Amino acid sequence: MRILIVEDEAKTGDYLKQGLTEAGYVVDLARDGMDGLHLALTGDYDLVILDVMLPGLNGWQLLEAVRRNGRELPVLFLTARDQVEDRVKGLELGADDYLVKPFAFAELLARVRTLFRRGRNGTEPTTLTVADLELDLLRRRVTRSSRRIDLTAKEFSLLELLLRRQGEVLPRSLIASQVWDMNFDSDTNVIEVAVRRLRAKVDDPFEPKLIRTVRGMGYVLEAPDAA
Amino acid sequence: MSRRSSLTARLTLLFATASSLVLLALGLVIGSAMERHFEEQDIDTLGGKLELISHAIDQLRGTGEGTPLPQALAQAFVGHHELAILVLDADRQTVFSAGDARFPVMAPIASTAEATATPFVWSQGETQYRALATRIADPAHPGQQLIVAVAIDIAHHTQFMASFSRTLWLFMLGAALVSGLLGWFAARRGLASLQQVARQTATVTANKLDFRLAEDTVPTELSELVRSLNDMLARLEDAFQRLSDFSSDLAHELRTPISNLMTQTHVALSRARDAEDYRDILASNAEEFERMARMVSDMLFLAKSDNGLVIPNRQVVDLGAEVAALFEFYDALAEDKGVTLTQDGAVSVSGDPLMLRRALSNLLSNAVRHASADSLVRVRLDETADGARIRVENHGETLPAETLPRFFERFYRADPSRHHTSEGAGLGLAITRSIIVAHGGSIAVESRDGVTAFEITLPCA
Repeated sequence: MRILIVEDEAKTGDYLKQGLTEAGYVVDLARDGMDGLHLALTGDYDLVILDVMLPGLNGWQLLEAVRRNGRELPVLFLTARDQVEDRVKGLELGADDYLVKPFAFAELLARVRTLFRRGRNGTEPTTLTVADLELDLLRRRVTRSSRRIDLTAKEFSLLELLLRRQGEVLPRSLIASQVWDMNFDSDTNVIEVAVRRLRAKVDDPFEPKLIRTVRGMGYVLEAPDAA
Repeated sequence: MSRRSSLTARLTLLFATASSLVLLALGLVIGSAMERHFEEQDIDTLGGKLELISHAIDQLRGTGEGTPLPQALAQAFVGHHELAILVLDADRQTVFSAGDARFPVMAPIASTAEATATPFVWSQGETQYRALATRIADPAHPGQQLIVAVAIDIAHHTQFMASFSRTLWLFMLGAALVSGLLGWFAARRGLASLQQVARQTATVTANKLDFRLAEDTVPTELSELVRSLNDMLARLEDAFQRLSDFSSDLAHELRTPISNLMTQTHVALSRARDAEDYRDILASNAEEFERMARMVSDMLFLAKSDNGLVIPNRQVVDLGAEVAALFEFYDALAEDKGVTLTQDGAVSVSGDPLMLRRALSNLLSNAVRHASADSLVRVRLDETADGARIRVENHGETLPAETLPRFFERFYRADPSRHHTSEGAGLGLAITRSIIVAHGGSIAVESRDGVTAFEITLPCA
């Protein structure tokens, strides 16, 4: 998976590159619009992460040029300007997603993974498993070590999200948005309480522990040997 | 009126025109009165002469024979050179004529009725005559009538009138100039206080917004203007004060987390530590950064709403369903505190679902946070005459009445000591209010007998 980052802010660019490289992607970094366009048109990328404000050629112009050349590669916008018109403009030009600066890196990573997952149309699994935990999506039933666990609807959704994204650190804001449809900065205590309750049912009576808190970032569900 | 004209010039012109018109009217009235007076005087004189003539003719009739009429008349009017006389018989033949005047025989004289003195005027070259004509019985031919006309030269009257009107026009011209000048002067004087107001207002700057114009030293006509200017200054001062409070609050609010971050990072760097310590520090920093990022985005939202840029994307929103969804979100948190969430009623409004959910979410979060353990947080929805009403109640401490209005201010925290807890930056209720206001609604808070209630009124769908 090759990602092109076009970002003129030196520190942001470097850290994005480092973070995404460490997440297992092959990353190129362009510092201005012209270089970015050149790389986007000649390189073989699976995703472009594009800053809107760029010297030389701004993000929108770059995106237009890429689309004019008939390249269908997904584009994720980064913008410091949170104006509705900006979002609309980006999406109209064919951007696939956008993030407003400042953003949590985990959020970016989650979005990048979603974009990669999109388009890959495998058959939907009916059960999700990690270690001895099993989630039956059709019957909405959870078992661990063959023991039935009763979850509320929202707890089930939360566990499903963690399982679908196993190994990914999910920021609280993403969890709030995906499970409860709270698409704004809300009380993050709620997520903590919800995760704690889920743990009490899914993790506390069992070993090994699957749900892990990544301080300052969010939550991740993974089998300990995978870590 | 696209052209800007000077007020002074307009007033000056107005004064000059008004006084000229008044003088002109006066002149015309006097002129015509004088002319009428002259005419009456002339007719009086002419009437006297006519009587004299008819007397002379009567005397002839009495004697029967003697001097013929012309001689008799010539004798009678010896020395009356200013007078012109014409006597015609029934056949319109001249019986007697004296003076230079050539009477316009045809129309006026011929139509002269018996015993009625008819006045008329005519011009002859340079001179103007006024005449009076009448009919008298002919002494020579009984049963027939003579037409007698007398005329006098009225040139001196005309000359007088001409010179009068010349004087009048000159006087008017002078008066117009003088009153224009006076008008200009008065306007300048009158407008001087306006210029003074302008000079004073020019000194108002951002750091002198407490300045007020003196209302009692300006003319009454300007006090309205001065009052509105002062009101405007007061509004500006208020808005400016809030803006600068806001900036300083913002700076202050950012200073605390930045100072924490700096201290923490510097201390961490001051000597070598193991990886776990570094991880802890970074994680704690990340939390702090997230808080700051959230604060900045909240501030941006509020700044936008202050500038009227928060425009709800309206659709019909079932608030009952929104509250139910929010209850699902807050359920675990509430249960943890032993707080029960209940909901009565349902109502729909026209609004932006995301914004309204955010507004209600802040209220619920606030209610759950301040609810006493094992109590009830109740949301009541109903429709009143004023619109949809949403009431969020929690049991807890009764809040002092004087602090209630401040609840919706930015960065206001009921308890200043709880500065950096999970409570957030103290922007939640300010955001709620700005969302409600953007929807054309209102929000109020009351607190009594251990129950704190927020009440929102929104226009119905």
